Amino acid sequence: MADAASTPGASGSGTRSGSKQSTNPADNYYLARRRTLQVVVSSLLTEAGFESAEKASVETLTEMLQSYISEIGRSAKSYCEHTARTQPTLSDIVVTLVEMGFNVDTLPAYAKRSQRMVITAPPVTNQPVTPKALTAGQNRPHPPHIPSHFPEFPDPHTYIKTPTYREPVSDYQVLREKAASQRRDVERALTRFMAKTGETQSLFKDDVSTFPLIAARPFTIPYLTALLPSELEMQQMEETDSSEQDEQPDTENLALHMSTQALPVGLDSCETGVCDLLAVEPLVSPGGTAHPAPRPQACAPLGQMFRDESGAEKENTSVLQQNPSLAGTRNGEDTIIDNPYLRPVKKPKIRRKKSLS
Amino acid sequence: AAPSGPGPASQKGEQGFQSPRPYKLAYQLVRIHSISFHRRSAAGFVELTILPTVADLSRIKLNSQQCGIHGAAFTYSDPTLEVCSSEAKHRALGHFSHAYATALHAVDSDAGNGELCIKVPPELRKCVNAFPVLKIHIDFSLDRPQGGLHFVVPGGEGSLAERAAHVFSCGYQNSTRSWFPCVDSYSELCTWKLEFTVDAAMVAVSNGDLVDTVYTQGKRKKTFHYELSIPTAASNISLAIGPFEVLVDPYMPEVTHFCLPQLLPLLKHTTSYLHKIFEFYEEILTCRYPYSCFKTVFIDEAYVEVAAYASMSIFSTNLLHGATIIDETPLTRRCLAQSLAQQFFGCFLSRMSWCDEWVLKGISSYIYGLWLKKTFGVNEYHHWIKEELDEIVAYELKSGGVLLHPIFGGGNEKDPQVSHLHFSIRHPHMLSWEYYTMFQCKAHLVMRLIEQRISTKCMLQVCNKLLNLATAASSQKFQSNMWSQMLLSTSGFLKSISDVSGKDIQPLMKQWVDQSGVVKFYGRFAFNTKRNVLELELKQDCTSLETQKYLGPLKVTVQELDGSFNHTLQIKEDSLKHNIPCHSKSRRNKKKKIPLMNGEEVDMDLSAMDPDSPLLWIRIDPDMLLLRKVEFEQADFMWQYQLCYECNVVAQQEAILALEKFPTPASRLALTTILEQEQCFYRIANSMVSTWTGPPAMKSQFTRMFCCKTCPNMVKTNNFMNFQAYFLQKTMPVAMALLRDAHNLCPKEVLTFILGLIKYNDNRKNKFSDNYYRAEMIDALANCVTPAISVNNEVRTLENLNSDVRLIVEEITRFLNLEKLLPSYRHTITVSCLRAVRVLQKNGHVPSDPSLFKAYAEYGHFVDVRVAALEAVVDYTKVDRSYQELQWLLNMIQNDPVPYVRHKILNMLTKHPPFTKNMESPLCNEALLDQLWKLMNSGTSHDWRLRCGAMDLYFTLFGLNRPSCLPLPEFRLVLNLKEEKAVLNPTIIPAPATGNREGTSNPSSHAPLAGFQNPLPSSQEEEMEMDMDTVHHSQAFSSQHLSMLERPPTLELSQCYLASARSALLPSCVGGYEGAPTSKAPWGLDLTHKGAAQVQSPPEMHIYPFAVALLCSPLSRKRPPPNNEHHHHHKHKKHKHKHKHKQKHKHDSREKDREPFSFSSPALGRSVCSPSLSD
Repeated sequence: MADAASTPGASGSGTRSGSKQSTNPADNYYLARRRTLQVVVSSLLTEAGFESAEKASVETLTEMLQSYISEIGRSAKSYCEHTARTQPTLSDIVVTLVEMGFNVDTLPAYAKRSQRMVITAPPVTNQPVTPKALTAGQNRPHPPHIPSHFPEFPDPHTYIKTPTYREPVSDYQVLREKAASQRRDVERALTRFMAKTGETQSLFKDDVSTFPLIAARPFTIPYLTALLPSELEMQQMEETDSSEQDEQPDTENLALHMSTQALPVGLDSCETGVCDLLAVEPLVSPGGTAHPAPRPQACAPLGQMFRDESGAEKENTSVLQQNPSLAGTRNGEDTIIDNPYLRPVKKPKIRRKKSLS
Repeated sequence: AAPSGPGPASQKGEQGFQSPRPYKLAYQLVRIHSISFHRRSAAGFVELTILPTVADLSRIKLNSQQCGIHGAAFTYSDPTLEVCSSEAKHRALGHFSHAYATALHAVDSDAGNGELCIKVPPELRKCVNAFPVLKIHIDFSLDRPQGGLHFVVPGGEGSLAERAAHVFSCGYQNSTRSWFPCVDSYSELCTWKLEFTVDAAMVAVSNGDLVDTVYTQGKRKKTFHYELSIPTAASNISLAIGPFEVLVDPYMPEVTHFCLPQLLPLLKHTTSYLHKIFEFYEEILTCRYPYSCFKTVFIDEAYVEVAAYASMSIFSTNLLHGATIIDETPLTRRCLAQSLAQQFFGCFLSRMSWCDEWVLKGISSYIYGLWLKKTFGVNEYHHWIKEELDEIVAYELKSGGVLLHPIFGGGNEKDPQVSHLHFSIRHPHMLSWEYYTMFQCKAHLVMRLIEQRISTKCMLQVCNKLLNLATAASSQKFQSNMWSQMLLSTSGFLKSISDVSGKDIQPLMKQWVDQSGVVKFYGRFAFNTKRNVLELELKQDCTSLETQKYLGPLKVTVQELDGSFNHTLQIKEDSLKHNIPCHSKSRRNKKKKIPLMNGEEVDMDLSAMDPDSPLLWIRIDPDMLLLRKVEFEQADFMWQYQLCYECNVVAQQEAILALEKFPTPASRLALTTILEQEQCFYRIANSMVSTWTGPPAMKSQFTRMFCCKTCPNMVKTNNFMNFQAYFLQKTMPVAMALLRDAHNLCPKEVLTFILGLIKYNDNRKNKFSDNYYRAEMIDALANCVTPAISVNNEVRTLENLNSDVRLIVEEITRFLNLEKLLPSYRHTITVSCLRAVRVLQKNGHVPSDPSLFKAYAEYGHFVDVRVAALEAVVDYTKVDRSYQELQWLLNMIQNDPVPYVRHKILNMLTKHPPFTKNMESPLCNEALLDQLWKLMNSGTSHDWRLRCGAMDLYFTLFGLNRPSCLPLPEFRLVLNLKEEKAVLNPTIIPAPATGNREGTSNPSSHAPLAGFQNPLPSSQEEEMEMDMDTVHHSQAFSSQHLSMLERPPTLELSQCYLASARSALLPSCVGGYEGAPTSKAPWGLDLTHKGAAQVQSPPEMHIYPFAVALLCSPLSRKRPPPNNEHHHHHKHKKHKHKHKHKQKHKHDSREKDREPFSFSSPALGRSVCSPSLSD
């Protein structure tokens, strides 16, 4: 309040007029809060080096502060309710702040800044009596940067944690057992769910629920599901593939990655781009593109790769052979490989003549 | 038809090949200008350029089925559409078979016949000498073809291309006639131009080079122009149209692969190996692939897995697989290699006649075998040979001999040697599918024998020579008449062999090619210590019909202590015992290494053997140089040594089989030892595991090999990098589950163990799919199931389910449900689950109910699943004798869209019939008989394979003779062969009416009459056995016969069948009664083929009326005018029930003479000689 006095008395008059007009206690609370906020705004202004401020601007800033704080409250409440609680916790506030674009990490330093002004506690008309049921241990005193009128720390047992360590289960047998039974449970639950929600067949006429079989449903194209690997298998394949590649000397992978990164943006498709590059690079001299600097770097390991691994080279040459042909089908260009099925379809002119004759 | 072109064809190039046609085909254009997937129809035209080789060519016969043909000046008749008249009451398969053979012959292109007969206009005939080239233009259309072309049109949303609708040509043997008119023979070669106009989103793949692809106006369609400059038979022409994805082979740009949408990645992987097969064949044959391009097409609902046509092969799409699949890979590669071998021998080199088929099949399988040996190793090759040998031996011993090179001389005698079959082997379209499979198998084995005789080098030289000749011929112009060099015949093949090798293989040919049957040896031995001689006793079983006697050299390998020695014994007529001197003395307590066949020297524990004998083991015909079955007796320790130390897989396999009889600890030890040897061939390991007879020692074995070191009850996470271990891992649990304890129950621990394997199966880190492994685990579970203990047939309910079985059911339920969410490759797991459910049902744990299987058997499931489900339904039908299910199956045979499935059901029903001919069954009734008869008679006329399958089934169910479920005719005339004279059954006094039909239908059987009415079915056998050769014809007999019948046959009857025959068929031959084809003496002989042949030879026709008149003159009174034919026909129909008459001979059943085609049937052949016709 003392700080507020240093700013022009306009703020004081505003609050006063408000207090006079209002009669009911709700309004009183509102006004009191508003007054406190005005004090805070004023003190912040002073802290920022203002000597005086117009009432309108202080009011605007107050309004902004109030809505900011309200938003924090509203949002925190949502987060708290989202996790099925009624009382917000610190993490709710933090999440809210993060959500609103506030860098939470800077907050502690700001709270402890040296030039901060401490605002005296607002006058409390009627102190809410908190029932002191049980106290355990000594409450921690406030750190120096927290004003003393702020609520006390809760009992230590609510926040003190004693970390205990249990060895993570690493026994092979148990892990396998666990994985197996987990998978089995999931499978069973899933299939049961599917069986419950759809048509079923049963092995027993008297009991259709114990061993429900999902009804056989014909496909329009039965061979597709039968021949193509399922998505799960594909995924597994990728995993095993990548893990296997990791085991191999990484030059190839590295080269690939580097080349894709270093490639000019013009080559859009990453996969064909890489293939093209692999095929073309050792034959055509590098350079002459938009990014001359990184390309030689990318090519160096590639060149090595071709020299070192004859096997890899063989594979890549096959790619080389195949790729233009595929490209040919796409672009309709003449290709190295002359396969009649890749040739463009002719216009009907000639055909018409023939048919007429 | 318009005459044009150059001079006449000269005859000088024709060597050995006599064309049965009075013209030669030079060039054919096929153009299909519209194909509709919605209506499943196609339309187009063909243009044949032919060169007449006779002066006045009046008729041109072509093959065509199903095609609607527009235009005039042609006649069409296809007796195979309905083999026997639909009203026929007499339902003997023997009769049908004869009629069918005759019908086939009447349209057989190899005999110069055809369904379509085009009359050359007389005015044109005059110009033929001036313009010796004729062009025949035929417009045709196909509507919902039932064979030849198969349309696959999946339902669903989107355009046809998006739904992957496609169409392809298919068929068994020469069946190109079912999709365009042609000379459907393998021996009529010509060059081709093929044009197909298809939707712009589709690709048409056909034979030869794709010359052009041209859009039609508006770019909605495009036309594919193919040219095939290498002379090719029409039977090797094929077509596939669909929205195919195109893959140019990365190694060979001339090779293009096609698959249905979305399968391109699989196609890439599957075909990545093809270039190596190409290289291999070209290298061993030292001959380039004959065509300028090669195409592989993978299609759905394939007729057969592999079909080879000129420069293209059509495969089942189910052969495609990705890199994660282990089991399918070798199978698919085999299919690719097979099809490629057939490109050389079968497509490029074509057969001269059906009798020469075995040469082509033999050579193509032979070079395929060489590839197999090189690719999969000698062990695999030997294993394959052994497998084929066992199969053919088993088949021949069970069902009768397989004759590779039937010689049909004259055409009027019975089929040589194969009278035991219910079909004629004269025509490929009559063969039972199983017989044909065995035929190919035997062809290959015999080819291998020839190779062994003349050396591999010579054999390849022969192949090379044949190919070179053909290549030279193929580049010739048509006029040079060199094309017949591209036809391979048995004699041509033999000539090449003698030219190249100079060796005489006649004895071999005589033994294996010109006669059927296998050799069967029983062997025993004794060791004579004094003389140090092995006394070998070899007996041959030549008593049964299917075996033959072998005389000649026989190799015997004796493994002694001092090494392995080969001996060649000469098997002579009466030699039973053979003395073989031993090279080594028995040694006691002397340790020395023992040299083996392959030069290795090994230490052996000799404690088990007989101390007095130096013999370790003996093998008869170790290299499988005969088509034989050997049953050899030697002591168990000898088998054990053979298993452990003999390096030949075949020997090991034999030893394993033999050891089944000796479930001793020593045997188990031998098995365990071999199982642990890493270099042991996986198939040996497999077969061995499945014959294991000991206690669950296998479990510990498995634990040691595949389970974790730390926790032995848990299987390692899957790693199938080592295929050998993979196959072992798959097989062991399955075999283990076959163990039974003293109460004939599966030991509890085994079940627990297998359940554990399933539970801990973890494939996350595996590079390969584990679907086959999991499927085998389910098979193992099914193997655990033992019959339920049932108390007076209570209803199976869940409550009284055994707790062990409950666990099994639970696993199966889970797997089956999981398959719906995460389907496995080829749905192997579903297949195994269905089988397991059936096992549970059969063992009485689960109520027997086919509804589950029926749901899975519906169209729209993957074909493997369908077949597995159908198998279960067939089994159910057999076990539960369910008429309803049988009807359901028959219905499916008639209506299913997939020909393969239809074929498969017939096949399965034949293998597991609900009843057989010797069995009383409530299912066996007349309605069923009718249904099957109809199916066989007319329902399957466009699919040879299906018709033959129906015949097989009919044979299994009802036998060759008159089915016993038919009501017996009141009066029967039976021949008594024993007495050889006509005796009337004293109990029966022939009614005046009985003789009526008799005369018309039977008179040709001049065998003595035995009497009337033999109501016993057994008599039929006797009838069938009637020896036609003993039949003598004489007027005396004839009159006796007829007078005995007391009443001359009515003339109407005799006319009516002629009339119907004539009005329905072969109109070209109609010239009056003289036109009725009959045969010359001997009157009673089987005229199956001759009858039809004579249809075309008018000069002969005039003989018979005369002869017949002579024979039967007393009876001929009048001849009704020809224009009354139909009238009589009706009359006859009206009367037919009134005329109760006897049948003297099975073949002379009464319905036969009413059916349109009957006049070329054997029955009619005879009946033509009847008095009624004699006028």
